[in-house]
Amino acid sequence: MAKLIRVRELNIDIPKEARLLAEQMLSDLEKSKRPVLEAVKTSLDNSIYDHKVGFLTPGDKMVRTELNVSSVQKLARVVFVLEIMLRNLDIGAVNTKRELYYISKGLIKGDKRMKPLDFEDQNDSDSIIDFIGDMLRVYREELNCFANDRGGQTYSQQLIVTETLPDGDKAVVDLSTLGTTPFQPKNKPQSLKLKVKKKIDFVLIVESEGTANTLQTMGFTRRNNCILLGAQGVPSNGVRGWCKLIQDQLDVPMYFFGDLDAYTLQNIFRTLKAGSAASLIRNADFSAPNVKFLGVLPDDVKRYDLPHYKVKESDPVEARALKKAKDALENDPFFLDKKNKGLADICRWLIKEKIRCEQQSFFSVDPRDPIKTEKLILEKIKRGSYV
Amino acid sequence: MSKITKSSTAEYFAKNLQQVGFSSPLKAVLTTVKEAVDNSLDACEGAQILPDIELQVLKVGTGSSKNTDLIKIVVEDNGPGIDPDDIAKVFGEYLASSKFGRGQCSRGQQGIGISAATTWAQLTNAKGAFVMSKTPSMRKAVRAQVDVDIKSNTGVMRNKETVDWDKKSGTRVEFTIDGRVQLNGDGGLLTYIEGTVLVNPHLSIRYKLLENDWVSVERVSSESPDVPEATLPHPHTFKLGEFITHSTLFGKVSLGNFLKTGFSRVSDQSIKDFTAKGMPKSLVNTPVTSLKQEDFKKVFQAVQDTELMAPSTKSVLTVGEDSLSKSIQRLGETDFFAVVTRKPTICDFKPVVVEVALARFKNRNLEADEPVQLLRFANRVPLQFDKSGCAITWAIESVNWKSYGLSQPKGSLPIGPYIFAVSITSPFIKFKNASKETIDASEELVEEIRRALMQAGQKLSRHIKKEFREADLERKLAHIEQFGPILVEGLVRLTKSSPARMKKAEEGLKKLLGRDSEHAQAELNEAEARLQTQKIREAKRQGIDLDSDEASADVDDDSAPAPVATKKKGGSKAEAEVAEENRKAVATKKKAAAANAAMTTKKKR
Repeated sequence: MAKLIRVRELNIDIPKEARLLAEQMLSDLEKSKRPVLEAVKTSLDNSIYDHKVGFLTPGDKMVRTELNVSSVQKLARVVFVLEIMLRNLDIGAVNTKRELYYISKGLIKGDKRMKPLDFEDQNDSDSIIDFIGDMLRVYREELNCFANDRGGQTYSQQLIVTETLPDGDKAVVDLSTLGTTPFQPKNKPQSLKLKVKKKIDFVLIVESEGTANTLQTMGFTRRNNCILLGAQGVPSNGVRGWCKLIQDQLDVPMYFFGDLDAYTLQNIFRTLKAGSAASLIRNADFSAPNVKFLGVLPDDVKRYDLPHYKVKESDPVEARALKKAKDALENDPFFLDKKNKGLADICRWLIKEKIRCEQQSFFSVDPRDPIKTEKLILEKIKRGSYV
Repeated sequence: MSKITKSSTAEYFAKNLQQVGFSSPLKAVLTTVKEAVDNSLDACEGAQILPDIELQVLKVGTGSSKNTDLIKIVVEDNGPGIDPDDIAKVFGEYLASSKFGRGQCSRGQQGIGISAATTWAQLTNAKGAFVMSKTPSMRKAVRAQVDVDIKSNTGVMRNKETVDWDKKSGTRVEFTIDGRVQLNGDGGLLTYIEGTVLVNPHLSIRYKLLENDWVSVERVSSESPDVPEATLPHPHTFKLGEFITHSTLFGKVSLGNFLKTGFSRVSDQSIKDFTAKGMPKSLVNTPVTSLKQEDFKKVFQAVQDTELMAPSTKSVLTVGEDSLSKSIQRLGETDFFAVVTRKPTICDFKPVVVEVALARFKNRNLEADEPVQLLRFANRVPLQFDKSGCAITWAIESVNWKSYGLSQPKGSLPIGPYIFAVSITSPFIKFKNASKETIDASEELVEEIRRALMQAGQKLSRHIKKEFREADLERKLAHIEQFGPILVEGLVRLTKSSPARMKKAEEGLKKLLGRDSEHAQAELNEAEARLQTQKIREAKRQGIDLDSDEASADVDDDSAPAPVATKKKGGSKAEAEVAEENRKAVATKKKAAAANAAMTTKKKR
């Protein structure tokens, strides 16, 4: 079987590293010494942001898991899943996280002695997979484990995508031939090469996949030399990798258009632009630092008289979102960076005003004009109305 | 101007029966049962008779009011009986009571309840109460129907006859009323019966509820509680006005004599203490009749400022920890329980005793994620409605149960399959309403209840902590057994190592995890020791109360586990319980040893 496309140039020999680790654990046990596994601490308090780098990177903090009666279960599970992953690497097979969960379940249930290892749900096995990645400091994609496809539905009249298949063959997709059907980047966008028929003026990433599709249906990409894509909420690894690829290969202005609320700003936009604390070791290849926040901006609410409403503080979900926004202003290095003051200001404004304005409010500005949203977006880009 | 008319007490209550517990068909049945049973228990105690009560609640037809059944309630006791001349008064006249204002901890206080039941029967079924009664001196029993003459607030006897009754003495009362029967839940009849059984260890009761079979519950104490004597009032329970009025009852006696004979806990020493606190010495020998109001005030203030002995235990009745411990077993088999009887104290100028029993039962279908079942008692009568406003509920909610190992949402009852029984006994309980469903929550009373709960909570927590440690050790042992071999085998496969290395690594792992389980075992041992200390302390205290020789012999014997020294049956049960726990502990320790061995066995397989 042909070699899989690599996500990045990696100087680590994963099977060798893993076996060294196992060897160390075994030899510790032989000496009645407690084996210790160390992994990068993937949390906000171990995240560093430098606008010159553009994404969140890990600090020095590590999570140590020392063998004891409480952690013996976790360690046994790590060794068990690692074995499957190494086997996959060895034979060049890939699996999704969900598949690994079911593969484990099958193996465990088929062997009475393995039964204690059984995962109660996929979260259990996912956390072990993430731990292995953080421990070896490799992407889970480099362990041949991929997330399911979600989001990233892309439309363009100018973009041509060439995919290198595992057997070395090439598949070429001209997006202009797809009509209103989107092209969806696979969860390994690194295997794609991009080409344009005409110079692309901008890329628009819309928070709601439905809204992206509506814009396309109304002819957005026919009137503009652009790439239009839907993020479908918090961007998946696939979407993040795809945006990074567009940024690197095409070098065009990129804009994000989504709701005006704390959740969008913190969870969706920040993840797209600078990655997340949970994926500290992967952010380099899974974030697009050039993306700008096009809106909805507080100014838009006033300028276009956008319908908006008060956030209900009695609603626990909303209250939590506001609290998280306050925390972010104090602790999130992304919002603390002075380059991102504009974004932090929006956060502060949201906390103060306690209002929310949906991206779809643009549709209400002129109900008689079906492409008013498009006009407003273009006007904002032209005017430089973004952060 | 409209004419001012005067109504009788009976008229008032006939129109306001909801105030005395007849606000719904469900409550009507429960209140009727409650009033009749309370009267029986009070009467038996008054005559030092161990109560045998028979209770029937039957559905006999459809009620005259909408959505009700016709319910027949029969309560029969072996009490002293009622003098035929008093029968009409007892069942047909409001505020006719032998207990009103006497300063006793009787269940009934005002003489309203049973007359209200008669009124309810009369209003809904046009017939009052059917009463049969016989005193020991009577050859035959008297049977009659009693109605309330609402206009004049007097009882009327109809169809009076004498009949043979093969009982030495007793009373049987029968009501047929509109109502509905609820058996379980806070306001259920079974909950009432269980509560009554719990706080009346000397009660034997047979009951038949609807179409269910007869159920018998035997007494666990053969001592009829000493009916609290109407003792002299404690001076700290008085207000100035009452103090002055009280003095007029004693005629021309000196102040010193008045204080000593008119109150409890006042001695010659106390008189000296009063003068030290500002009572003019010259007044001690002055007749109370010639004291001025200012003098009374000075005396009163000095008395209030002086520390006096707590009111006599005799003025308030307690169930007692020993009896409560036995009685709780009648509700079902307990996993463990904790009982606390506080010393009598004064809350709001009244002597009060708080008793608490916390228990976890083995087969009671109590949900682990539901709030605890709360049983509230006032003078040994279950309180079943409006718990949210009650001093007892407030006190429970104010305790931080998390520190005793129970989970508790903020400001709520704790969660878990437990029964919390809290009993308040006092000659003057302050209720929020005439139907006596809720105890008024004063700061002092809530604090007193809180203390009792916290003491009980500490006892309970030792059981819970021990269980937690046991489970922890079990879990850790299971981990060693289950995951150890899998981990080592996985590593051996990954590194392609030899069986010799596997053996060595397994031994190493065994050593490491053995150390951890030793730590857990030590924690369990410590928790067990604490529980044992508690049991020894309980045994010692009960032993001193009951039979000090026996108890001290048990406690001093270090080689044997300390049993809870209760008399006869109770003692053997406690010993069995301790023996069972020891057996479990030995089993867990054996398991610890076996777990380590298991690793080697597995490898051989």
